[in-house]
Amino acid sequence: MYAWKCWRETRASFIFLLMLSTVPALLVTLGPGLKERNGWWHFDRSEYTHDPTLMVHLVSGMILTVLLLSPFLSAVFLGATSSGSEIEPGTIEYLWTRPRTRASVTWTHWGVCLAEMAMIAVVPTYLAAAILGTLTRNWNMPLLMIAPWIMFIAGVPMLGLTTLMTALRRSAKGGLIYTAAVGSVYLILRQIVTVPLHLNLPTLFAGPLVWLVSNNQPYAAAFPWGSLWRAVFLAAAFPLAAQYLLKRTEV
Amino acid sequence: MNETALLTEGLSKSFGTQAAVSELNLRIQPGAVYGFLGRNGAGKTTTMRMLLGLVRPTKGSARVLELDPTREMELMRILERVAFVPQRKQLYGWATPAELVRMNKAYFPRWSDDAAARLAQRLEIPMKMAFKKLSIGNQSKVALLLALAQGAEVLILDEPTAGLDPVMVDEILRTLIEDHVSQGRTIFVSSHHLGEVEQICDWVGILEEGRLLLESRLEEIRQEFRLVIASGEGLPTAQSTDVVSATTDGRFRRFVVAREAERFAADLRSQGAAILEISPIGLRELFLHLVRKEDACTPGNVGAKPAPVSSFS
Repeated sequence: MYAWKCWRETRASFIFLLMLSTVPALLVTLGPGLKERNGWWHFDRSEYTHDPTLMVHLVSGMILTVLLLSPFLSAVFLGATSSGSEIEPGTIEYLWTRPRTRASVTWTHWGVCLAEMAMIAVVPTYLAAAILGTLTRNWNMPLLMIAPWIMFIAGVPMLGLTTLMTALRRSAKGGLIYTAAVGSVYLILRQIVTVPLHLNLPTLFAGPLVWLVSNNQPYAAAFPWGSLWRAVFLAAAFPLAAQYLLKRTEV
Repeated sequence: MNETALLTEGLSKSFGTQAAVSELNLRIQPGAVYGFLGRNGAGKTTTMRMLLGLVRPTKGSARVLELDPTREMELMRILERVAFVPQRKQLYGWATPAELVRMNKAYFPRWSDDAAARLAQRLEIPMKMAFKKLSIGNQSKVALLLALAQGAEVLILDEPTAGLDPVMVDEILRTLIEDHVSQGRTIFVSSHHLGEVEQICDWVGILEEGRLLLESRLEEIRQEFRLVIASGEGLPTAQSTDVVSATTDGRFRRFVVAREAERFAADLRSQGAAILEISPIGLRELFLHLVRKEDACTPGNVGAKPAPVSSFS
């Protein structure tokens, strides 16, 4: 039943984020074929059939560019609805006097958000891929096939971080601000350290995402497995820390 | 049911240097209806939160139905058997009362749909309107419905009737008496409405600045407690454990005596005092005498050690 409550509370954000990802993905997919003729829109399919391989390559790159931030956005907005956000408005007294452990509450919310994040990553990408494949009759698009899962993996640590920050600040707004602050401070410090010292530090956990968008040829460069494992570690570590914190929180 | 419904032993809670609850000893038997009284900030809500695991005690221990609320697994068993109405009756604003009922029933195996439907009708709750759109009174009624339909053995109610009109207060009290008191369920209720407490409670405890000033059967207060008003020079501040409170009002001194008021009055006379009145004392008057701060001179008053519970029971 708590999963249903999580769904009800995140439903509006989920639909908003899904639209925010799907509409631009569809626009860039259909963009090359849209022409103006006699003062009105006209769809020219031949644009996709001249050189299908090139078209798939170009449009895939555009789709990934417009979807780049969606895993982070969805993780942050969904994570801010975790149980820590209920402390400030006072509904936590209701929630924590139901016979469910705080750990189960934390992980149920995490699971619901994971499912929603997966949908937000998969639906626009695969929908765009289906349209692109139909128009070009070229279904060889490995980049788009793996892209949603890489975006999903990059987003999961942010979901945990926002869950932790929301528990720490005891409110959704505070959680969002602290997550933005932690992310910004990390990026600034990283720049401060790497540029003057000419260091080539690996990305903390967004390596697969950078690999995806910078190559546009997924098999051209080595996959950043280290970054992937750090993402997996942080994906588990942040919600565990939030669980620990919430277990000790008094209201 | 031989177990104690609620038990605290030396239960204390401090927030920094501020003591919210100090050395609280309560033993509430199953079936008791216990009115937990005190001014704002006296420690009532903190005590209730400690019983429900929302706040951890700094010192001492608590047991609810013989289970320890500081142990998570035992707390889960407590929460299955205890219903709680918090002071801030805040539920999910987007949910309708009907949705809240559906959500709540999934948590409690002894949930009664019949009781929920009956209460919704009796309390005139609009079940299809979002919680955030309900008036404060209706929000309170929803919180009560969720607690009362739970089929709990113990009800912990923190100012349950705050914000309700007199008709609804009467409905709530009747519901509590008909559906819960008559079935031998334990009720631990805090309220500022002493008339309500007198209507349903059989025990009262009065808390001030985290300390239990008095615990007694309501019946005993009615039958034994007396207000003795005396005048004279050099009257004692407190001379026996039977004196619950002594306050000064101009030339007069008012003593609240737990028992044997006539003997106490005789003692005062022997010291040259004039006894102006010996009269029964109501709960409201007793409460005001105990928690007023103008004369911190008796065991029951603020700043002094609490009167031993045994002297009242």
